[in-house]
Amino acid sequence: MDLECDLLVIGGGMAGFVAGTIASNAGISTVVLRKGQSATAYSSGAIDMIGYLPEVSEPFSSPEEGLTTIAGLYPLHPYSIVGYSEDVEPSRVVAEIVERARGTIAWLKKYLKDTAASLIGSFDYNVHPITVLGTTKPTCLVQETMFSDSLQQNEDNVLLFVGLSGYPDFNPSAASKTYLEDRISVGEPPRKVGRCVLEIKPFGKSFNLSSIEIARHFDHEESIDDFAAQLKIQVEQLGASHVALPPVLGLRNALMNKKKLEEILGVQVFELLGFPPSIPGLRLQTSLENIFKREGGKLLVGHEAVGYNRMEDKVTSVTVKAPRRKIQINAKAFILASGKYIGGGLHGDENGIRETIFDLMTVTRAYHSASGILPSRYTNRLSISPMGQPVYSCGLTVDPKFRPVQEDGMEWASNLFAAGSILTGYDYMSEKSGLGVAATSGYSAAKSAINFIKEVA
Amino acid sequence: MLLISSRRLLELDENEAYEYVKAALNKELIAPYRSHELECINSVESCINCGLCINHCPVVAAVGLDRFSGPRSIAVELSRSPPEFWSAADIVYLCTGCGTCREVCPKNVDIPEVVNLIRARIFEYRPDLVPKGLFMVRELLIEYSLAFEPWEDKEEKIESRNMRLERLALPLVQDKVLDKAEVLFYPGCQAEERAQEVREAAKVILDFFDVDYTLLEEMSCCGLPARLIGDEETAVSLADKLKKKVKSLGVKSVITTCAGCTGNLSYLSHHFDWGVPTVHILEYIVEEIGLELLRTVVKKPSNLSDVHVTVHDPCHLIKHTSRQVMEHALNILRELPGVRVSESEAYDSCCGGGGLVSYHSKEIANAVVEENLEAITKTGAERLVTPCPLCTAQIESNLFKSGSSVEVDDLTVFIAQRLPKKE
Amino acid sequence: MSDSEFDVVVIGGGSTGTAVVRDCAMRGLKTLLLERDDIASASVGTCAGMISSGLKYQGEPEIMKMCSTEVVYFNRIARHIIMKNPILVPIRDFSVVAANRQMADTYSEYAEERDVPSMMFLTPEATLEIEPMTHPDIIAGVYYEEFFIDPFRLCLLQALDARNHGATIKSYCEVTGFEPMTNGFQGVIFYNRITGLIEKVRTKIVVNATGPWAHKIANMGGIELDLRLNKGAHIIFDRRIVNVGITTKESVDGRWIYLFPHENTTLLGTTALDTWEDPDTLVASYDEIEYLLKSIEFIIPSIREARIIRTMAGVRPLVADWNIPEDEVTRGYRVVNHDNGLISFVGGKLVMCRHMAEAVTDLVCKKLGNDVVCKTHETPLPGNENDVDIETLSREYGINMHILERMRARRGTEIVKILEMTKENPEWKTTICTCEPVIEAEIRYAIREEFPQTLNDLRRRLRIGTGPCQGTSCTHKVAAILSEELDLEGDDFLVDILDFRAERWKGIRPSMRGEQLAQEELAQGMYSCVGNLEQSDVDYDMKPWEEGN
Repeated sequence: MDLECDLLVIGGGMAGFVAGTIASNAGISTVVLRKGQSATAYSSGAIDMIGYLPEVSEPFSSPEEGLTTIAGLYPLHPYSIVGYSEDVEPSRVVAEIVERARGTIAWLKKYLKDTAASLIGSFDYNVHPITVLGTTKPTCLVQETMFSDSLQQNEDNVLLFVGLSGYPDFNPSAASKTYLEDRISVGEPPRKVGRCVLEIKPFGKSFNLSSIEIARHFDHEESIDDFAAQLKIQVEQLGASHVALPPVLGLRNALMNKKKLEEILGVQVFELLGFPPSIPGLRLQTSLENIFKREGGKLLVGHEAVGYNRMEDKVTSVTVKAPRRKIQINAKAFILASGKYIGGGLHGDENGIRETIFDLMTVTRAYHSASGILPSRYTNRLSISPMGQPVYSCGLTVDPKFRPVQEDGMEWASNLFAAGSILTGYDYMSEKSGLGVAATSGYSAAKSAINFIKEVA
Repeated sequence: MLLISSRRLLELDENEAYEYVKAALNKELIAPYRSHELECINSVESCINCGLCINHCPVVAAVGLDRFSGPRSIAVELSRSPPEFWSAADIVYLCTGCGTCREVCPKNVDIPEVVNLIRARIFEYRPDLVPKGLFMVRELLIEYSLAFEPWEDKEEKIESRNMRLERLALPLVQDKVLDKAEVLFYPGCQAEERAQEVREAAKVILDFFDVDYTLLEEMSCCGLPARLIGDEETAVSLADKLKKKVKSLGVKSVITTCAGCTGNLSYLSHHFDWGVPTVHILEYIVEEIGLELLRTVVKKPSNLSDVHVTVHDPCHLIKHTSRQVMEHALNILRELPGVRVSESEAYDSCCGGGGLVSYHSKEIANAVVEENLEAITKTGAERLVTPCPLCTAQIESNLFKSGSSVEVDDLTVFIAQRLPKKE
Repeated sequence: MSDSEFDVVVIGGGSTGTAVVRDCAMRGLKTLLLERDDIASASVGTCAGMISSGLKYQGEPEIMKMCSTEVVYFNRIARHIIMKNPILVPIRDFSVVAANRQMADTYSEYAEERDVPSMMFLTPEATLEIEPMTHPDIIAGVYYEEFFIDPFRLCLLQALDARNHGATIKSYCEVTGFEPMTNGFQGVIFYNRITGLIEKVRTKIVVNATGPWAHKIANMGGIELDLRLNKGAHIIFDRRIVNVGITTKESVDGRWIYLFPHENTTLLGTTALDTWEDPDTLVASYDEIEYLLKSIEFIIPSIREARIIRTMAGVRPLVADWNIPEDEVTRGYRVVNHDNGLISFVGGKLVMCRHMAEAVTDLVCKKLGNDVVCKTHETPLPGNENDVDIETLSREYGINMHILERMRARRGTEIVKILEMTKENPEWKTTICTCEPVIEAEIRYAIREEFPQTLNDLRRRLRIGTGPCQGTSCTHKVAAILSEELDLEGDDFLVDILDFRAERWKGIRPSMRGEQLAQEELAQGMYSCVGNLEQSDVDYDMKPWEEGN
């Protein structure tokens, strides 16, 4: 059945839900379409703001430092565009960027506070959580279960990496060696690490364990006690002061379990950043959906935008497909937050890079047209390097109101906005800026859309 | 077996050659895809092995990844190499067909259809690997064109129907079988032969709102169980049979009270050009009859007190048809006086009744529904409503076994009970 | 004879080299194989794996006969790693039919011994039914059958069989020079890339089976050897997109182009370009990719809708026949006896490797006065002794049938040894590579028994990372297992990951488009965005193809 609303958000990831929640909170009737879960649901539990300048190896010490630098060097970076919103004076642009980003971080912390994805960290400094590979990365916020503030403080700290038998996604042997070598090369504590493998058997077997069954197992009250008992022996044997676990402590009760373990063991316990299929990502995705619905937003799952109608300079409706039904959604404004290649917002083949719903103009990071490019030409020879892969920086370019523009630099429609990884101008992989850009651009796009709707009304 | 001369070609004429090749390919277990399967097969190409589906699959959550390697394995490995389909036999029958994997997949890879496809190949080439329990259903389909054994004694059937009507305080609306009508009401095999109250309740609703509907003269299965067994031939023949009946009635749409039928008939309509849409009665009430009209006529039945309910969303509606259908359900419930709805944490979690899993691995089907039972109890509701006879039966029996006092109603019945007597 | 003295040193661990070392060892010669990288890492590692009946070589009837016989032998000794390849030739142009008749007669001459039917014609309707993706305008189809062999397993099994018969196999040993003959022995100097040491052995005979580097090795012995190097590329698609193999001559330039379903992928090949580039730097070019797609598009019009996973490119060491187009160069082989203890090969195809080995080993034995006859055509390769009952094993060990079926296709009877490992270590039943799939027990077994050094070596042995995800999910898991088994440093673990991602990227990059963009986004997201590997301070060696711009 056809629907009508003030704001239609296409895409149910970080960008889409931040935008939708802000709009709902402002009294705008909002619908979010989610055709499938995506990059946000894969996330490791960290919320990256800005870790590195592109192609540089020295991490920023804080998001503020990073944003100030970005604003100076990359005026069309999505973070920079944030500064041009609301007719800001040139001298105040950088301050505006920093303020908006700080505000977004505060917003995320506040809204996710009592959810399974509650966050810890600060805008004033980057933290360096450990990954399941034993490497570290600079980031702004992490989920509370993944944080230890004292790990690098004390010279005598000893870190125990704990693996689970039959759970291949994390190998404590490789991770502990890697981490220790890194610590030695930078000359910082902890200077001693250990590792062990414990057994838990959610279904009576200790092989082929998936993150989800372990997390659910730990969500049940009694199972953490048994695990704690096994772990206690290892902790005492090593003399550990800190324990690192793979990110499977639970879907609902992860924080509670962490605290319980800390109480029983008398040491600090934290989860590592992990890979898909990710439990912290699932916590984040679910929490974002819940806060959106709590603010009165309407979520249409399993619905995909497949077409649109337009009158003069406005999009009037979007055609939406469910598995066996098709409907029209009429709205006053639209936010496109459909993701990159994984999310399906962009598609690339030998005919170029295309935006899949409105066929909006796509550009490369150098602001050349991407509609005729061969994707493989926009790649580097090195697979994994600080240079990244330019094809992952292609996308839409937007005006200061976050409206996608066309070749003449003017907005494609007065009421169509864009946010998230569909934007060009940044490389979230090497910068470590993915969820930060998504949240910040979603925030800004929402503000613009709300103003538009209120003006039109 | 044909004798092949190794000398010159054209010893075999083209027909013999064709037979030889088919036999050779058969031996290699190479089974060409049929044209209606291509859409599904092509969707598999988009799988990027992210494993998100594993995090959401109700069977993996219920029995563990080792027992059921899950939708990812079905998409990434099992579908890639057709000559090896037979080796999927220890996995592929455990899927309940809920479609959660497809719904969360960033690429919407059509895993439930891949499952059906693999089952079809196993059925054709290695029927010895098909679980025995499925053959029982097949026999019913072939003998009666129904998925449940029909009542032998029609009088007893009517008696059972009347008892249900009385227990549920529903009026009897006589069966209507016409040559032509606006809509066809299709109850589905379960409502026809077992949960007759659902069939009756639908007639009450349609009659109340003066809908120009007809029943089938002779009810026959839409073929979904045959597809789930992998018996393509029976599935196609049942679908054809039903298509002919639908076309000959000249109806503009088909209304059903079963989630599985809604999903399957929508699928058949799309792939085999029926040109006649199928909707669940919930959709018809909201989209054709309208909530305003409903609001003005419903009243609290004098024999029923206020009730606190929770809802279960059938997978075949939300994940195979559209989530909006259950939005309609909530909107309808909102119009019913004296009804309070609490959302269960597992409202959209599969009940385990699908995929014919309970016909051969009942313990797995029941493990899947465990999560639902916990969540239902947690709501504090007295009753559960759901618009699908299959979900109703599965949840009801498991609630009972767990010692819960929560009772289950089919939503169609629940609505019919709150319509006043027709003047 | 002392430990560092041999009868024969074989240089080059490809299909021919491993076949030679097997034959020599089986005949009782003290043999050493020196391979610069890993077994099957060069030409044979980039071929389609078809052991062809010699159909294309109608002008060389002796070669056709030899090929047919070799196919029979392979079916005998390596049945467990052979798959049948039924092929359809859909025809649009009637003139092609006439050409096919001649080909069909020649093919059918030896069909019976290979237990395949002679070629047969099919109606267009029948062809379309068997392969619905075929162009609707076809006027006929021709059906015949060939065979595939897993080239990596073949080379590895030949090497392992040689080792079982007393040979020494050394991978990662690069020959750097020869010392002149004294007392009937010459010195072979090589650099051991694992230990970092320079070593020397003495041997009576050196067999140069180095394929595209044959002339370089010969040069070290002061000999000029001419080769005509020829580059060939393939495109690999995700899953089996056609039901049977498709071949066509109605291509861009009238060359035979094939589209073969193979294991869980589909191969499209191949090109043939004279090349003088360093074989280690070769990647498929855009021209080659488009050439192949356009060629098959005439017969399979919807080919561009299929998902390209990657490309692969390698070099054929053809016999140096100049002044003629490359497709007229013989695909037969020559044995060149340099008369100073060095014997070289040029030319040849995968299907001939055993035959080539027999010819050379006969020559070597004659020189050394050994009269043991060749048995390589009769003796089964390891794993081929019996049939394997997957269903029973699945129940006995509690492992899914599909996993065991894939393992059987690699290992035959050896599968039981691996399954036994899971009795003591049930956690090794865990699936690590989800595309194949491959369980941890098989990975550990391969590391312990099959001398891999890198993830790429494991890829050859196990097919990890060859599926649509190209190692996105399993790279770090396998690297961790390798790190445990070989007791590697933390840095090595990260370098192993980077190396394997680089190796896969080499093939993915040229053809990257469509769904593979999303796949790589995920891989980059994992290893770069989360893992932050590009910022880890490790000693990463740039690969030959990564150098330059």
